[in-house]
Amino acid sequence: MEIKVDELAGVKYTAKDFASDVDVKWCPGCGDYSILAQVQRSSPDFGERKENIVWVSGIGCSSRFPYYMNTYGFHGIHGRAGAIATGVKLANPKLQVWVATGDGDMLSIGGNHFIHLCRKNIDVKVIMFNNRIYGLTKGQYSPTSEKGKVTKSSPFGTVDFPFNAVKLATGAGATFVARSFDRDPKHLQDMINRAAKHHGAAFIEVYQNCPIFNDGAFSLLTEKETKPDNVIVLEHGKPLVFGANKEKGIKLDGLNPVVIDLSDGKNSVNDCWIHDEFDDNPTRVFLLARFSDIPNFPVPIGVFRQFSKPTYDKDYVQQISDIQAKKGAGTYEKLMYTTNIWEVR
Amino acid sequence: MENKTNKNGDARLMKGNEALAEAALRANIDAYFGYPITPQSEVIEYLTREVPNRKEIKTVVLQAESEVASINMVYGAAGAGARVMTSSSSPGISLMQEGISYIASAQLPCLIVNVVRGGPGLGTIQPSQGDYFQATKGGGHGDYHLIVLAPASVQEMADFVFDAFKLAEKYRNPAMILADGALGQMMEKVILPEAGSLPKAPAPWATTGKPKDRDHNIITSLFIQPEEMEKVNLRLQEKYEAIQSEVRYEEIKTDDAEILLVAFGLSSRICQKTVDLAREKGIKVGLLRPITVYPYPYARLKELANQVEFMLTVEMNAGQMVEDVRLAVEGKVPVYFIGRMGGMILSPEDILHKVESVKEK
Ligand code: SF4
Repeated sequence: MEIKVDELAGVKYTAKDFASDVDVKWCPGCGDYSILAQVQRSSPDFGERKENIVWVSGIGCSSRFPYYMNTYGFHGIHGRAGAIATGVKLANPKLQVWVATGDGDMLSIGGNHFIHLCRKNIDVKVIMFNNRIYGLTKGQYSPTSEKGKVTKSSPFGTVDFPFNAVKLATGAGATFVARSFDRDPKHLQDMINRAAKHHGAAFIEVYQNCPIFNDGAFSLLTEKETKPDNVIVLEHGKPLVFGANKEKGIKLDGLNPVVIDLSDGKNSVNDCWIHDEFDDNPTRVFLLARFSDIPNFPVPIGVFRQFSKPTYDKDYVQQISDIQAKKGAGTYEKLMYTTNIWEVR
Repeated sequence: MENKTNKNGDARLMKGNEALAEAALRANIDAYFGYPITPQSEVIEYLTREVPNRKEIKTVVLQAESEVASINMVYGAAGAGARVMTSSSSPGISLMQEGISYIASAQLPCLIVNVVRGGPGLGTIQPSQGDYFQATKGGGHGDYHLIVLAPASVQEMADFVFDAFKLAEKYRNPAMILADGALGQMMEKVILPEAGSLPKAPAPWATTGKPKDRDHNIITSLFIQPEEMEKVNLRLQEKYEAIQSEVRYEEIKTDDAEILLVAFGLSSRICQKTVDLAREKGIKVGLLRPITVYPYPYARLKELANQVEFMLTVEMNAGQMVEDVRLAVEGKVPVYFIGRMGGMILSPEDILHKVESVKEK
């Protein structure tokens, strides 16, 4: 266990310090347990005192998260966690604000607040547990359920198309966009730590297994035998290669990604697409994000993109202090008596 | 308002939510828009399961992205002249209030089902009657009312679908079934209404294109000129006045009652037992159960105030309908209240105890 020394206060934390005494009430085997554990393990590295951390949630299985964290917590309204977190951050910009949400909560009713949180680049970190199902209401399809999925509310298969959350967050302007798995603790911890260090709207999609209502939704991506051929790990400055022996790669042919065989002597690793997570232009992120929608393409995990842009909370505070520097701080008297006034006699 | 029932006696054992959904199919609804929420998710699940199995049914069933979307889809379909409904539970119904206010203003018929759970806020998934004010006094902004039916059995969960559509279409007004989590979840014998036995009122106002013989019609709730807005309001008020004639209630052993219990929905079922327990002890207790909670049986309660010593209102909330009972009796007799909240349910004995303790005063 890593121990972080808080320079400001000399406080040493371990993962245990971030565990609350509330009994965790997810179903046995739920992927949420792992996400909670990885967050608790990563939290000592955030460099924040725990009283400066707030976890905000909406409604759903994932939204029980704040109860289990020994930080400040806010169990909010269905879909509104993004707006509530915005309120928290603006009221006290010194806080580190996190959102725990699900595909139902954030992408159904919460879609509107989510895109505006990204657009405004509010310094809030969102972890979205994507199990592709409504767990809390017992098994109806969600906005990330694959087309044709049979659920309690789609007994003959869904007819609507799912959201690709990475595309959505990127399109809406999130400045940090990543994906990970509940079953890959190390990778998930890495993503969480990097989101913690980012300033601006950060989004991590975590593929999470719901053993009760959508068991095995990601098993192809998480099982030892199938993972190498179906998952590609994005690393900055590294070529896009995958397969058990890194024998396959992705080449960019114009705007078309193609899978190439690196073992046939015709292609080499030098032909592969080199991942640049700081790319200003989001076009390649969309190409990468599309992999998960194309059959026989590996699903990318890792940081798709991160870039720096002024955050709403900083700019807002800055704007006020700039005006005050120019005009001096306002007072009640000035406000009341320097514009048009008249006396009623 | 008797419904035609299947002559062969189509009796089944069903959950309240499922009986309601089945009745909706038999009422030939054109569309259902909803979003899962406990304790009423069975409605959408039942509909999505049943519709494709039945050739004769052409109902559209759609799981929306939220309750806000659901009610606006209802608004759209109602405007197009469809027989349309949604169902939800308390937090979801709160989300719909904006849309409901617009639908009421635009004078469109539809059915909204609230399978109430304990609140406020996210509350609990256990049954409650805490949404009485919201349902009967408007709920959203502005001067409007819903026609509100309060079932007390699985049978009524089914029957009231027909009644609610009849009233909604007659008055071009949204109607609500105000149930609760227990009624939605419990199983009882139900005789289902005959399929297709509910004729649809003509909807010449619907947005079905502009035939030559009809004026241009825009569905709207915006009337920026105050004179016009007042006219719209006066028309609504006139309609609510006419709706008063639709009041329905049930009386149990009120003929010789000296004490009157007033309760709706699930609470009235519990009160029936209290009436029996009290009468075994020689206390003449009767029960009035409002079936429509809007319109409300003010007149009948006022009459009964001349007969009884006091009234006791029993609700699964902090005391909401009790205000209507007090309005009705105009101070003639004392009106007491007993209730529990947050999903807790009174026992018949609790109510009897309250009757006795008031009596001894
Ligand atoms: S329903 Fe699914 S997502 Fe919810 S706690 Fe249970 S296993 Fe986890």
